[in-house]
Amino acid sequence: MSTTSTAISRELIYQVAYETNKRAAIVVPQDGLAAFGEAWERESKPLAHFILGQILENAKLAVADARPMCGDTGLPRYYVKLGNEARIDGGVVALERALRQAVADITQDIQLRSNRVHPLTRRNPGNNTGVFAPNIDYSFEPGGDWIDIIAVHKGGLFGTDYRMLFPADGTDGIKRFLLDNMAEFARRGLSCPPVVVGVGLGGTKDQAVTLSKEAACLRLIGDRHPDSEVAALEEELRHLANQTGFGVMGVGGDTTALDVHVEIAYTHTGGLPIAISQFCTAYRRSVARVFPSGEVEFREDPQWFTPYYRREGIE
Amino acid sequence: MSQGQNREWELTCPLVSSDIEKLAAGDLVYLSGPVYTARDGVYQHMLIDGNAPPIDLQELTNVSLQSSPAGVEVSPGEFEVASLQATAGFRYAQYMPQLLEEFGVKAVVGKAGMSEQVYQEVFRKHGAVCLTTMGYGLGAIYGRAIKKVLGVYWVEELGISEALWTFEVDRLGPLLVEGDIHGNSFFAQVNDDINRQLGALYEGLKPPVYGRIGEEQKPETELF
Ligand code: SF4
Repeated sequence: MSTTSTAISRELIYQVAYETNKRAAIVVPQDGLAAFGEAWERESKPLAHFILGQILENAKLAVADARPMCGDTGLPRYYVKLGNEARIDGGVVALERALRQAVADITQDIQLRSNRVHPLTRRNPGNNTGVFAPNIDYSFEPGGDWIDIIAVHKGGLFGTDYRMLFPADGTDGIKRFLLDNMAEFARRGLSCPPVVVGVGLGGTKDQAVTLSKEAACLRLIGDRHPDSEVAALEEELRHLANQTGFGVMGVGGDTTALDVHVEIAYTHTGGLPIAISQFCTAYRRSVARVFPSGEVEFREDPQWFTPYYRREGIE
Repeated sequence: MSQGQNREWELTCPLVSSDIEKLAAGDLVYLSGPVYTARDGVYQHMLIDGNAPPIDLQELTNVSLQSSPAGVEVSPGEFEVASLQATAGFRYAQYMPQLLEEFGVKAVVGKAGMSEQVYQEVFRKHGAVCLTTMGYGLGAIYGRAIKKVLGVYWVEELGISEALWTFEVDRLGPLLVEGDIHGNSFFAQVNDDINRQLGALYEGLKPPVYGRIGEEQKPETELF
């Protein structure tokens, strides 16, 4: 091995996994707070305006009392970005153990709901861990000797869908699918709007679904895709989602989607797979970078979609 | 009032019929007093499998929440709840006749309500209302309203999330009256307007070249 970097300790990874998980449950990220605030100011319907005000109040109380912002604490999960030069004391297996332990411990300590159960027997281990739980997804970055740990508590039984469209369906097909998705899940507020909508376009079926969730959860509200055509589609879809008029909680209002993020992947020449995920009003995410020196840097921007992650060429 | 036209009520549980009668779809409600939780687990265990509840629920209250709280056992036998939210109630419509009939429930607090038909056929008959939590993510506000966990039952049988929890609440709200005793649904009224806008948005967008089973359903369809 040519690398000389110091290993990042497993204890530190545990501590950061614990802290990000805790913050995710309690603290609404800055971009979310700003977007809820703007939606509240803009809202023309009195009931929707009142509810948006309550959401802002709830965000304050959650932090003041250190209690989860929503009573359904969703499914805690991690996104981990590994710098190519990063070394972990105990390797990736130690990292995964630390993340699983952190989820189990935080469930007890800040009273997360034990949401994870066996799908058939419905047995509940009581700590949000189990087979394939919590989800841990990875990406990599050249050069870095650090590890990014991103905790997301994704809520919602509603809001995600997939469909195989075809090239001839084009933008009309994409727009229709978005409208279908809103009509199905924003009605009566089942998916808890205002939401951040993630669209995964292209790739394979599983990539489309994965990208839609990452697009919903791992980009700042207001961020635009570097590909100008994709960015234009994001604007168009955000406008369309809000024109439906479902509004907060589906009671009728001006803001149904705080934003729409589209991620693309190169796909089969004959198809146009599309998936949509909605990140609910309980906008829960916390990000930290851990350095080998032991330094930890919390930040707002997940920086998940780096130019390298979205690369087009071989390199 | 900051919420515009919506009327506000402060009510005490168990609810008395004169209180329930004045509630109209679209009103806001704050509840104080004892309440209990019942959702998938409790409905199955108590209503379908016929297990008698470990305490006299009807004696305690007539308000039931379709909720599993974010709560834990802090020391043996002692429970705390940090945050609270209800779950989507439409899937429990099938249990309503029995719950209202046998347990005398007068207010079901869920999320997003049930169909107008259920209100017309079941709730109206029993003089009961269906309330919904709001936001929907007002977990911290609702969690604060829980003054005391009175008891937690059937933890062994159902797991902590599906267990039967009883609370003493103080101003649990805002809650929205979704279905009133006349069988009106707040969302059904709202959706009439939204459906008109929605129809216009679909205009001019060509349908997909390859359909899906069930696609003949129109976007304005209530899916439950
Ligand atoms: S979908 Fe609604 S109830 Fe579920 S976590 Fe999100 S805000 Fe809470």
